[in-house]
Amino acid sequence: MPEATARTRSKTRKPARNMYTPLPATVEKVIDESPTIKTIAMIPDEEFSFKTGEFIELTIPGIGEAPFTPSSSPLETKRMEVTVMKTGYVTEYIHRLKKGDRVGIRGPFGRGYPLEEMYGKEILILGGGCGFAPIRSLLYNLMAEKDKFRKVTLCYGSKTPEECIYKPFINELRSVEKFEVLRSVDKPDETWEEAVGVVTVLLDSIRVDIPNAVAVVCGPPVMMKFGTFKLLEMGFPENKIFLSMEKNMSCGLGKCGHCTMGKYFVCKDGPVFTYDEIKDQPDIWA
Amino acid sequence: MTKHYLISHENWDKVLNRAISKYLLYAPVIRENHQDYVLVEQEQDISHIIYNTAKPASPLKTFFLPVKENVVREPEGIPRIILGIPPCDLAGLEMLDTFYLEEPYVDPYYQDRRENTLLIGTDCFTAQEHCHCTTYGVSPAVEKYADIRLASHEGNMYLTVLTEKGEEFVREYMAGDAKETDESRMAPVREKSGQLKKELEERNSQLPGYERTGVLIRKSGEDIWEKYSADCVSCGACSSICPTCTCFLLIDRPEFEKIRSLDTCQHPAFERVAAGEDPLHSKAARFRNRYLCKYVWRPEKYNTLACTGCGRCIEACIGRINKNELFVELNT
Repeated sequence: MPEATARTRSKTRKPARNMYTPLPATVEKVIDESPTIKTIAMIPDEEFSFKTGEFIELTIPGIGEAPFTPSSSPLETKRMEVTVMKTGYVTEYIHRLKKGDRVGIRGPFGRGYPLEEMYGKEILILGGGCGFAPIRSLLYNLMAEKDKFRKVTLCYGSKTPEECIYKPFINELRSVEKFEVLRSVDKPDETWEEAVGVVTVLLDSIRVDIPNAVAVVCGPPVMMKFGTFKLLEMGFPENKIFLSMEKNMSCGLGKCGHCTMGKYFVCKDGPVFTYDEIKDQPDIWA
Repeated sequence: MTKHYLISHENWDKVLNRAISKYLLYAPVIRENHQDYVLVEQEQDISHIIYNTAKPASPLKTFFLPVKENVVREPEGIPRIILGIPPCDLAGLEMLDTFYLEEPYVDPYYQDRRENTLLIGTDCFTAQEHCHCTTYGVSPAVEKYADIRLASHEGNMYLTVLTEKGEEFVREYMAGDAKETDESRMAPVREKSGQLKKELEERNSQLPGYERTGVLIRKSGEDIWEKYSADCVSCGACSSICPTCTCFLLIDRPEFEKIRSLDTCQHPAFERVAAGEDPLHSKAARFRNRYLCKYVWRPEKYNTLACTGCGRCIEACIGRINKNELFVELNT
């Protein structure tokens, strides 16, 4: 038995990294995507890997943390990008970041997109606004494995042409075989040559081999709700619609309770769910 | 491996006096108008410890999940004894263990405290006004989750050792003072907790059982929640003193330091996302959420009790909301 009593034990030992300790990273570049959306490119102090659809907590020391699904390729481990819309306290500070600033990354957390379930299938992706971020990471993954998929159709909607993000990436994607990109905006300007209306209007103009397809939806809650209903109407089975849910994820460990969605913790059991998994839980679109 | 021992009260106090040189000992004493755990630091304090009364004011969880702590540091590894834990709080520990020791995210601070703490439970011989453990299948006698089960009766302490950790303590601190005996000698104390069990069952006979309550909550309409939450002030006292409420907030400090601070779904904006959506925007929704969590979601997901019938939330509510009245009303 140790002689020292509890009261004399030191409390100042240096910590080993645990699940609450962020991996420090340096901001490499800040890209303006739209008036309210920026992409932050970071170099973590150690290599960091994640699977597409999993999320991280981005720490701004002394300010707070917020959850983001990386928007960069999961195949890249030395560099990571997150795409952030300015909506609240922490994201306000994230938008002030500049090259060389130090941030922290915790994770990766949760359950991402099940790529294996998509092999051999046609993939219909429905994205809205900043919800393009997780989808871009998925698309990078799909591009790298394009022999394993039949076809990928991206339907992306935003409010205005100015708010369409990832313009260079869209151009790149349009040149890749098997990939098709359709876009719509709610309010067009004189330069806009693509569809007009909410993103679901794009679904009327496409052909999908539904028995051999899966759908992926990510965007603001109202878009996810009506997008899902439209897909169901088109005949997609409930277990073939993959939704990336947005809740107030904080710890990322399924413990703090802030992202409760009925019996699920979105951070641990999601954030990617099939519609049939969550349809009976309360307030899924709120 | 269960072993039974008898030791005189006087010798038991000597055992505790030896133990406090190594362990931090927390035990319940009577305060002005309630009873609660205190840190027993000196020999003369040992005689103030009370046994076999109903629950202390603080739930057991406060020893494992402090109100606030830095979660970016080495665990402390402090050896502790918590003495006088009521069965309702021990039942709550099952939920906490399932939750905080679940792979892959075993919480290092919770685990450290659990491993370094000896739990000495005590059978309840008396109950408080809102005690309703038996309604949810918890007995006023310590059945599991303690290392040692203890009862005091007519100048003797009746010990039942339930774990190896408890056995080690007995070997190290009680050798010579205690007499090993058999279960039949425990009869006087078993009878007392058995009597209380009957009393509680009778007293709470109107109250629906645990699973039934879950069913009732699931199919309930909004009106009843509006009605009962009218006097709720969203203070969160019900969660703070709940032995199974575990939600927390992470606070970021400079230098990547993180503080974990207990939080509750009763606070406005608990689930609000940055863009503004908030499933628990109304007080009634938050109020109902807590019971959905306790009687529907936690048992469904973890197969453990998330309400152990301790009744602290009823006592702590400054709006005098009595959830049991609500459940009786739902059941009629």
